[in-house]
Amino acid sequence: MEMIKATDIYKSFDGNVVLSGISFEVNKGEVVAVIGPSGSGKSTLLRCINLLEKVDMGSITVEDDVMVCTNAQGRAVYADKKKLREIRLKIGLVFQSFNLFPHYSVLDNIMTAPISVAGVSKAEAQKAAMELLIKMGLEDKANAYPCNLSGGQCQRVAIARALALKPDVLFFDEPTSALDPQLTNEVLKVIRQLAEEHMTMVVVTHEMNFAREVADRVIFMDGGVIVEEGKPEDIFTNPKKERTRAFIRGFIG
Amino acid sequence: MKLVLLLLEGMVVSLQIFALTLIFAIPLGLIISFGRRSKNIIISGITSIYISIMRGTPLILQLLVVYFAPSYVFEAKVGRFTAAVIAFILNYAAYFAEIFRGGIESIPKGQYEAGEVLGFTKLQVFFKIVLPQVIKRVLPPISNEVITLVKDTALVTAIGVEEMFRVAQNASSRVSSVQPLFVAGVFYYVMNLIVAQAFSFAEKKLNYYR
Repeated sequence: MEMIKATDIYKSFDGNVVLSGISFEVNKGEVVAVIGPSGSGKSTLLRCINLLEKVDMGSITVEDDVMVCTNAQGRAVYADKKKLREIRLKIGLVFQSFNLFPHYSVLDNIMTAPISVAGVSKAEAQKAAMELLIKMGLEDKANAYPCNLSGGQCQRVAIARALALKPDVLFFDEPTSALDPQLTNEVLKVIRQLAEEHMTMVVVTHEMNFAREVADRVIFMDGGVIVEEGKPEDIFTNPKKERTRAFIRGFIG
Repeated sequence: MKLVLLLLEGMVVSLQIFALTLIFAIPLGLIISFGRRSKNIIISGITSIYISIMRGTPLILQLLVVYFAPSYVFEAKVGRFTAAVIAFILNYAAYFAEIFRGGIESIPKGQYEAGEVLGFTKLQVFFKIVLPQVIKRVLPPISNEVITLVKDTALVTAIGVEEMFRVAQNASSRVSSVQPLFVAGVFYYVMNLIVAQAFSFAEKKLNYYR
Protein backbone atom coordinates (compact mmCIF):
# COMPACT_ATOMS: atom_id res chain seq x y z
CA MET A 1 0.00 0.00 0.00
CA GLU A 2 1.32 3.42 -0.92
CA MET A 3 1.70 5.65 2.05
CA ILE A 4 3.34 8.60 0.39
CA LYS A 5 3.24 9.32 -3.28
CA ALA A 6 5.17 12.23 -4.72
CA THR A 7 4.91 12.99 -8.42
CA ASP A 8 7.02 15.31 -10.55
CA ILE A 9 8.33 17.52 -7.77
CA TYR A 10 10.12 20.68 -8.82
CA LYS A 11 11.77 23.02 -6.40
CA SER A 12 14.26 25.81 -6.86
CA PHE A 13 15.77 28.41 -4.56
CA ASP A 14 16.31 31.79 -6.22
CA GLY A 15 16.61 30.26 -9.67
CA ASN A 16 18.87 27.47 -8.44
CA VAL A 17 17.08 24.24 -9.32
CA VAL A 18 17.33 21.71 -6.50
CA LEU A 19 14.65 19.19 -7.43
CA SER A 20 13.82 18.75 -11.07
CA GLY A 21 11.02 16.30 -11.53
CA ILE A 22 11.24 13.80 -8.71
CA SER A 23 8.68 11.04 -8.39
CA PHE A 24 8.74 8.38 -5.77
CA GLU A 25 6.56 6.56 -3.33
CA VAL A 26 6.90 5.01 0.08
CA ASN A 27 4.95 1.89 0.93
CA LYS A 28 3.66 0.98 4.34
CA GLY A 29 6.22 -0.83 6.49
CA GLU A 30 9.03 -0.10 4.10
CA VAL A 31 12.45 1.37 4.88
CA VAL A 32 13.75 3.57 2.09
CA ALA A 33 17.32 4.85 2.12
CA VAL A 34 18.10 7.94 0.09
CA ILE A 35 21.76 8.30 -0.83
CA GLY A 36 23.67 10.67 -3.05
CA PRO A 37 26.33 13.37 -3.04
CA SER A 38 25.91 16.58 -1.01
CA GLY A 39 23.72 19.09 -2.76
CA SER A 40 21.87 16.43 -4.71
CA GLY A 41 18.52 17.52 -3.21
CA LYS A 42 18.01 14.66 -0.74
CA SER A 43 17.34 16.85 2.25
CA THR A 44 15.23 19.25 0.25
CA LEU A 45 13.07 16.35 -0.88
CA LEU A 46 12.43 15.32 2.73
CA ARG A 47 11.80 18.90 3.73
CA CYS A 48 9.27 19.34 0.95
CA ILE A 49 7.28 16.30 2.03
CA ASN A 50 7.53 17.55 5.60
CA LEU A 51 6.18 20.98 4.63
CA LEU A 52 9.31 22.80 5.76
CA GLU A 53 9.68 23.87 2.12
CA LYS A 54 6.98 24.39 -0.45
CA VAL A 55 7.32 22.79 -3.85
CA ASP A 56 7.08 24.91 -7.01
CA MET A 57 5.30 22.18 -8.94
CA GLY A 58 4.21 18.60 -8.48
CA SER A 59 1.85 16.65 -6.29
CA ILE A 60 2.22 14.89 -2.96
CA THR A 61 -0.32 12.56 -1.41
CA VAL A 62 -0.02 11.17 2.10
CA GLU A 63 -2.22 8.14 2.65
CA ASP A 64 -5.48 9.36 1.13
CA ASP A 65 -4.92 13.04 1.74
CA VAL A 66 -3.77 15.37 -1.00
CA MET A 67 -1.15 17.70 0.42
CA VAL A 68 -0.38 19.52 -2.79
CA CYS A 69 -1.31 19.19 -6.42
CA THR A 70 -0.60 21.18 -9.55
CA ASN A 71 -3.32 23.17 -11.28
CA ALA A 72 -3.80 23.71 -15.01
CA GLN A 73 -1.49 26.74 -14.94
CA GLY A 74 1.32 24.54 -13.60
CA ARG A 75 1.27 26.04 -10.13
CA ALA A 76 1.41 24.09 -6.89
CA VAL A 77 -1.82 24.35 -4.89
CA TYR A 78 -1.65 23.32 -1.25
CA ALA A 79 -4.49 21.96 0.87
CA ASP A 80 -5.97 24.24 3.53
CA LYS A 81 -4.12 24.86 6.80
CA LYS A 82 -6.20 22.47 8.85
CA LYS A 83 -5.62 19.62 6.43
CA LEU A 84 -1.91 20.37 6.27
CA ARG A 85 -1.64 20.22 10.06
CA GLU A 86 -3.39 16.88 10.02
CA ILE A 87 -1.05 15.54 7.33
CA ARG A 88 2.01 16.93 9.08
CA LEU A 89 1.27 14.92 12.22
CA LYS A 90 1.38 11.70 10.19
CA ILE A 91 5.01 12.38 9.31
CA GLY A 92 7.78 12.63 11.90
CA LEU A 93 11.15 14.16 11.15
CA VAL A 94 14.49 13.63 12.83
CA PHE A 95 17.06 16.32 12.05
CA GLN A 96 20.78 16.07 11.52
CA SER A 97 21.37 18.60 14.30
CA PHE A 98 18.76 17.06 16.67
CA ASN A 99 17.09 20.42 17.38
CA LEU A 100 16.05 19.40 20.86
CA PHE A 101 14.55 22.17 22.96
CA PRO A 102 17.41 23.09 25.32
CA HIS A 103 15.18 24.62 28.00
CA TYR A 104 13.11 21.45 28.39
CA SER A 105 14.19 18.32 30.18
CA VAL A 106 14.45 15.14 28.15
CA LEU A 107 11.03 14.05 29.35
CA ASP A 108 9.46 17.43 28.55
CA ASN A 109 11.02 17.42 25.10
CA ILE A 110 9.14 14.21 24.39
CA MET A 111 5.90 15.14 26.18
CA THR A 112 5.37 18.67 24.98
CA ALA A 113 3.97 17.97 21.52
CA PRO A 114 1.60 15.17 22.59
CA ILE A 115 0.21 17.47 25.29
CA SER A 116 0.00 20.76 23.41
CA VAL A 117 -0.63 19.49 19.91
CA ALA A 118 -2.35 16.12 20.19
CA GLY A 119 -4.25 16.96 23.38
CA VAL A 120 -3.05 13.93 25.32
CA SER A 121 -3.37 14.17 29.12
CA LYS A 122 -0.19 14.89 31.03
CA ALA A 123 -0.19 11.56 32.86
CA GLU A 124 -0.70 9.63 29.68
CA ALA A 125 1.97 11.60 27.82
CA GLN A 126 4.43 11.01 30.62
CA LYS A 127 3.76 7.29 30.65
CA ALA A 128 4.24 7.06 26.89
CA ALA A 129 7.38 9.20 27.05
CA MET A 130 8.91 6.96 29.71
CA GLU A 131 8.17 3.90 27.61
CA LEU A 132 9.91 5.50 24.65
CA LEU A 133 12.90 6.40 26.80
CA ILE A 134 13.18 2.81 27.98
CA LYS A 135 13.09 1.70 24.37
CA MET A 136 15.91 4.16 23.60
CA GLY A 137 17.86 2.94 26.64
CA LEU A 138 17.72 6.41 28.19
CA GLU A 139 15.30 5.95 31.09
CA ASP A 140 17.91 7.27 33.53
CA LYS A 141 18.15 10.52 31.56
CA ALA A 142 14.48 11.49 31.85
CA ASN A 143 15.21 14.53 33.98
CA ALA A 144 18.48 15.52 32.34
CA TYR A 145 18.73 18.48 29.98
CA PRO A 146 19.95 18.17 26.39
CA CYS A 147 23.15 20.08 27.21
CA ASN A 148 24.18 17.22 29.51
CA LEU A 149 23.76 14.50 26.89
CA SER A 150 26.12 13.17 24.24
CA GLY A 151 25.22 13.67 20.59
CA GLY A 152 24.08 10.08 20.29
CA GLN A 153 21.85 10.42 23.32
CA CYS A 154 20.43 13.69 21.97
CA GLN A 155 19.59 12.04 18.69
CA ARG A 156 17.87 9.14 20.45
CA VAL A 157 15.81 11.63 22.45
CA ALA A 158 14.94 13.38 19.18
CA ILE A 159 13.78 10.05 17.75
CA ALA A 160 11.68 9.43 20.85
CA ARG A 161 10.22 12.92 20.53
CA ALA A 162 9.21 12.26 16.94
CA LEU A 163 7.75 8.85 17.84
CA ALA A 164 5.71 10.32 20.70
CA LEU A 165 3.24 11.73 18.17
CA LYS A 166 2.76 8.22 16.77
CA PRO A 167 3.53 9.19 13.17
CA ASP A 168 2.70 6.77 10.38
CA VAL A 169 6.06 7.40 8.78
CA LEU A 170 9.33 8.69 10.17
CA PHE A 171 11.87 10.68 8.16
CA PHE A 172 15.53 10.94 9.06
CA ASP A 173 17.61 13.73 7.57
CA GLU A 174 21.21 12.52 7.86
CA PRO A 175 20.63 11.45 11.47
CA THR A 176 24.22 10.50 12.15
CA SER A 177 26.18 13.08 10.15
CA ALA A 178 26.91 15.13 13.27
CA LEU A 179 28.11 12.10 15.26
CA ASP A 180 31.37 10.21 15.63
CA PRO A 181 31.42 6.50 14.65
CA GLN A 182 30.69 5.15 18.11
CA LEU A 183 27.72 7.45 18.68
CA THR A 184 26.59 6.76 15.12
CA ASN A 185 26.27 3.09 15.98
CA GLU A 186 24.02 3.65 18.96
CA VAL A 187 21.67 5.73 16.81
CA LEU A 188 21.72 3.26 13.92
CA LYS A 189 20.91 0.50 16.39
CA VAL A 190 17.73 2.30 17.35
CA ILE A 191 16.74 2.84 13.71
CA ARG A 192 17.43 -0.81 13.00
CA GLN A 193 15.20 -1.79 15.89
CA LEU A 194 12.43 0.40 14.47
CA ALA A 195 12.88 -1.27 11.11
CA GLU A 196 12.39 -4.67 12.74
CA GLU A 197 9.12 -3.37 14.12
CA HIS A 198 8.14 -2.45 10.55
CA MET A 199 8.03 1.26 11.13
CA THR A 200 7.76 3.02 7.78
CA MET A 201 10.91 5.10 7.39
CA VAL A 202 12.75 7.23 4.89
CA VAL A 203 16.40 7.74 5.81
CA VAL A 204 18.69 10.18 4.06
CA THR A 205 22.12 8.87 4.93
CA HIS A 206 25.79 8.64 4.08
CA GLU A 207 26.11 5.38 6.01
CA MET A 208 26.31 3.01 3.07
CA ASN A 209 26.64 -0.16 5.12
CA PHE A 210 23.62 0.79 7.11
CA ALA A 211 21.61 1.56 3.97
CA ARG A 212 22.62 -1.76 2.53
CA GLU A 213 21.65 -3.76 5.60
CA VAL A 214 18.50 -2.07 6.72
CA ALA A 215 16.82 -0.57 3.67
CA ASP A 216 14.25 -2.42 1.64
CA ARG A 217 14.86 -0.02 -1.20
CA VAL A 218 17.63 2.43 -2.01
CA ILE A 219 17.19 5.63 -3.98
CA PHE A 220 20.26 7.26 -5.47
CA MET A 221 19.84 10.96 -6.15
CA ASP A 222 22.14 13.32 -7.99
CA GLY A 223 21.60 16.76 -9.44
CA GLY A 224 18.00 17.00 -8.32
CA VAL A 225 16.80 13.80 -9.99
CA ILE A 226 16.51 10.17 -8.99
CA VAL A 227 19.24 8.50 -10.99
CA GLU A 228 18.50 4.98 -9.94
CA GLU A 229 16.48 3.08 -7.39
CA GLY A 230 16.16 -0.53 -6.45
CA LYS A 231 16.96 -3.22 -3.95
CA PRO A 232 20.10 -2.53 -1.94
CA GLU A 233 21.96 -5.51 -3.34
CA ASP A 234 21.34 -4.29 -6.89
CA ILE A 235 22.29 -0.69 -6.18
CA PHE A 236 25.41 -1.55 -4.23
CA THR A 237 26.76 -4.51 -6.14
CA ASN A 238 25.34 -4.09 -9.56
CA PRO A 239 24.34 -0.49 -10.29
CA LYS A 240 23.05 0.11 -13.79
CA LYS A 241 24.00 3.75 -14.18
CA GLU A 242 27.52 5.03 -14.43
CA ARG A 243 26.83 7.90 -11.98
CA THR A 244 25.63 5.47 -9.33
CA ARG A 245 28.65 3.27 -9.89
CA ALA A 246 31.03 6.21 -9.51
CA PHE A 247 29.33 7.35 -6.32
CA ILE A 248 29.35 3.90 -4.73
CA ARG A 249 32.93 3.33 -5.74
CA GLY A 250 33.82 6.60 -3.99
CA PHE A 251 32.43 5.18 -0.77
CA ILE A 252 33.55 1.61 -0.88
CA GLY A 253 36.88 2.46 -2.46
CA MET B 1 17.47 62.17 59.68
CA LYS B 2 14.95 64.55 58.19
CA LEU B 3 16.99 64.62 55.00
CA VAL B 4 16.89 60.85 54.74
CA LEU B 5 13.10 60.85 55.12
CA LEU B 6 12.76 63.52 52.44
CA LEU B 7 15.02 61.61 50.11
CA LEU B 8 13.09 58.39 50.72
CA GLU B 9 9.90 60.20 49.83
CA GLY B 10 11.56 61.34 46.61
CA MET B 11 12.77 57.82 46.04
CA VAL B 12 9.20 56.57 46.03
CA VAL B 13 8.54 58.79 43.00
CA SER B 14 11.78 57.61 41.34
CA LEU B 15 10.76 54.01 41.93
CA GLN B 16 7.30 54.65 40.50
CA ILE B 17 8.82 56.00 37.30
CA PHE B 18 11.23 53.08 37.26
CA ALA B 19 8.54 50.44 37.76
CA LEU B 20 6.00 51.93 35.35
CA THR B 21 8.68 52.26 32.67
CA LEU B 22 9.68 48.61 32.98
CA ILE B 23 6.12 47.31 33.11
CA PHE B 24 5.18 49.05 29.86
CA ALA B 25 8.46 49.38 27.99
CA ILE B 26 9.31 45.66 28.03
CA PRO B 27 6.12 44.43 26.34
CA LEU B 28 6.11 47.47 24.06
CA GLY B 29 9.74 46.74 23.17
CA LEU B 30 8.80 43.17 22.28
CA ILE B 31 6.01 44.41 20.02
CA ILE B 32 8.31 46.96 18.37
CA SER B 33 10.88 44.22 17.77
CA PHE B 34 8.20 42.28 15.88
CA GLY B 35 7.53 45.40 13.82
CA ARG B 36 11.22 45.81 13.12
CA ARG B 37 11.38 42.20 11.91
CA SER B 38 8.20 42.47 9.86
CA LYS B 39 8.36 41.60 6.17
CA ASN B 40 6.02 44.52 5.53
CA ILE B 41 8.40 47.35 4.59
CA ILE B 42 6.03 50.05 5.85
CA ILE B 43 5.89 48.50 9.33
CA SER B 44 9.60 47.72 9.49
CA GLY B 45 10.40 51.17 8.07
CA ILE B 46 8.30 53.03 10.62
CA THR B 47 9.66 51.04 13.54
CA SER B 48 13.25 51.47 12.44
CA ILE B 49 12.78 55.25 12.11
CA TYR B 50 11.18 55.24 15.54
CA ILE B 51 14.09 53.33 17.06
CA SER B 52 16.57 55.56 15.30
CA ILE B 53 15.01 58.77 16.68
CA MET B 54 14.57 57.42 20.20
CA ARG B 55 18.14 56.23 20.39
CA GLY B 56 19.58 59.16 18.46
CA THR B 57 18.28 62.09 20.50
CA PRO B 58 18.84 62.99 24.17
CA LEU B 59 16.33 61.52 26.60
CA ILE B 60 16.20 64.88 28.36
CA LEU B 61 15.03 66.47 25.12
CA GLN B 62 12.40 63.76 24.68
CA LEU B 63 11.15 64.54 28.18
CA LEU B 64 10.74 68.19 27.27
CA VAL B 65 8.97 67.33 24.02
CA VAL B 66 6.49 64.97 25.67
CA TYR B 67 5.81 67.51 28.41
CA PHE B 68 5.54 70.68 26.34
CA ALA B 69 4.48 69.57 22.85
CA PRO B 70 0.87 68.64 23.71
CA SER B 71 0.17 72.13 25.06
CA TYR B 72 1.54 73.75 21.89
CA VAL B 73 -0.08 71.40 19.43
CA PHE B 74 -3.43 70.53 21.02
CA GLU B 75 -3.55 73.02 23.86
CA ALA B 76 -3.85 69.97 26.12
CA LYS B 77 -1.88 69.72 29.30
CA VAL B 78 -0.06 66.59 30.40
CA GLY B 79 0.93 66.21 34.04
CA ARG B 80 4.66 66.29 34.80
CA PHE B 81 4.73 62.79 36.20
CA THR B 82 2.65 61.36 33.34
CA ALA B 83 4.86 63.07 30.77
CA ALA B 84 7.96 61.72 32.46
CA VAL B 85 6.64 58.16 32.47
CA ILE B 86 5.48 58.34 28.84
CA ALA B 87 8.81 59.69 27.65
CA PHE B 88 10.69 56.98 29.52
CA ILE B 89 8.48 54.22 28.18
CA LEU B 90 8.86 55.45 24.60
CA ASN B 91 12.62 55.78 24.94
CA TYR B 92 13.33 52.52 26.74
CA ALA B 93 11.00 50.51 24.52
CA ALA B 94 13.27 51.39 21.59
CA TYR B 95 16.33 49.99 23.35
CA PHE B 96 14.46 46.91 24.56
CA ALA B 97 13.18 46.34 21.03
CA GLU B 98 16.70 46.11 19.66
CA ILE B 99 17.76 43.80 22.47
CA PHE B 100 14.79 41.51 21.83
CA ARG B 101 15.44 41.57 18.10
CA GLY B 102 18.99 40.44 18.69
CA GLY B 103 17.77 37.72 21.05
CA ILE B 104 15.09 36.46 18.68
CA GLU B 105 17.46 36.40 15.73
CA SER B 106 20.04 34.43 17.72
CA ILE B 107 17.69 31.45 18.12
CA PRO B 108 18.66 28.82 15.54
CA LYS B 109 16.23 28.16 12.70
CA GLY B 110 16.19 24.50 13.72
CA GLN B 111 14.24 25.37 16.86
CA TYR B 112 11.43 26.82 14.76
CA GLU B 113 11.55 23.89 12.37
CA ALA B 114 11.46 21.31 15.15
CA GLY B 115 8.42 23.03 16.61
CA GLU B 116 6.74 23.23 13.24
CA VAL B 117 7.37 19.58 12.46
CA LEU B 118 5.88 18.61 15.82
CA GLY B 119 2.70 20.41 14.80
CA PHE B 120 2.98 23.51 16.98
CA THR B 121 1.23 26.62 15.72
CA LYS B 122 3.36 29.71 15.07
CA LEU B 123 2.20 31.20 18.38
CA GLN B 124 3.05 28.03 20.29
CA VAL B 125 6.48 27.93 18.69
CA PHE B 126 7.11 31.51 19.76
CA PHE B 127 5.81 31.35 23.29
CA LYS B 128 6.82 27.80 24.25
CA ILE B 129 10.09 27.42 22.42
CA VAL B 130 11.57 30.71 21.25
CA LEU B 131 10.66 33.26 23.93
CA PRO B 132 11.96 31.29 26.96
CA GLN B 133 15.32 30.94 25.25
CA VAL B 134 15.30 34.60 24.21
CA ILE B 135 14.72 35.68 27.81
CA LYS B 136 17.79 33.78 28.96
CA ARG B 137 19.91 35.32 26.23
CA VAL B 138 18.76 38.91 26.70
CA LEU B 139 19.11 39.05 30.48
CA PRO B 140 22.66 40.53 30.49
CA PRO B 141 21.90 43.37 28.03
CA ILE B 142 18.53 44.01 29.70
CA SER B 143 20.22 44.30 33.10
CA ASN B 144 22.45 47.00 31.62
CA GLU B 145 19.42 48.96 30.49
CA VAL B 146 17.63 48.56 33.81
CA ILE B 147 20.66 49.85 35.71
CA THR B 148 20.86 52.83 33.37
CA LEU B 149 17.14 53.40 33.93
CA VAL B 150 17.63 53.71 37.69
CA LYS B 151 20.10 56.52 37.12
CA ASP B 152 18.15 58.09 34.24
CA THR B 153 15.15 58.71 36.50
CA ALA B 154 17.16 61.68 37.81
CA LEU B 155 16.66 63.35 34.42
CA VAL B 156 12.98 64.03 35.11
CA THR B 157 14.03 67.02 37.22
CA ALA B 158 14.25 68.73 33.82
CA ILE B 159 10.44 68.93 33.75
CA GLY B 160 10.14 69.52 37.48
CA VAL B 161 9.06 66.13 38.80
CA GLU B 162 9.75 65.96 42.54
CA GLU B 163 11.80 62.81 42.73
CA MET B 164 14.87 61.93 44.72
CA PHE B 165 17.44 63.91 42.76
CA ARG B 166 15.28 67.05 42.80
CA VAL B 167 14.76 66.67 46.54
CA ALA B 168 18.50 66.30 47.04
CA GLN B 169 19.24 69.36 44.89
CA ASN B 170 16.75 71.47 46.82
CA ALA B 171 18.09 70.32 50.15
CA SER B 172 21.61 70.94 48.94
CA SER B 173 20.96 74.57 48.07
CA ARG B 174 19.00 75.06 51.29
CA VAL B 175 21.85 73.93 53.53
CA SER B 176 24.63 75.06 51.16
CA SER B 177 26.29 71.65 51.22
CA VAL B 178 26.83 68.79 48.79
CA GLN B 179 26.01 66.28 51.51
CA PRO B 180 22.37 65.70 50.37
CA LEU B 181 23.57 65.04 46.84
CA PHE B 182 26.15 62.62 48.16
CA VAL B 183 23.49 60.76 50.18
CA ALA B 184 21.28 60.60 47.08
CA GLY B 185 24.22 59.14 45.19
CA VAL B 186 24.52 56.41 47.80
CA PHE B 187 20.80 55.67 47.47
CA TYR B 188 21.07 55.31 43.68
CA TYR B 189 24.03 53.03 44.15
CA VAL B 190 22.18 50.83 46.64
CA MET B 191 19.17 50.58 44.30
CA ASN B 192 21.47 49.44 41.53
CA LEU B 193 23.18 46.92 43.78
CA ILE B 194 19.75 45.40 44.34
CA VAL B 195 18.97 45.45 40.60
CA ALA B 196 22.29 43.79 39.77
CA GLN B 197 21.71 41.15 42.45
CA ALA B 198 18.24 40.43 41.13
CA PHE B 199 19.57 39.93 37.61
CA SER B 200 22.42 37.74 38.69
CA PHE B 201 19.92 35.64 40.66
CA ALA B 202 17.72 35.33 37.56
CA GLU B 203 20.69 34.40 35.42
CA LYS B 204 21.68 31.68 37.86
CA LYS B 205 18.12 30.41 37.90
CA LEU B 206 18.23 30.02 34.12
CA ASN B 207 21.64 28.45 34.19
CA TYR B 208 20.19 24.96 34.31
CA TYR B 209 20.48 24.70 30.54
CA ARG B 210 22.71 25.94 27.79
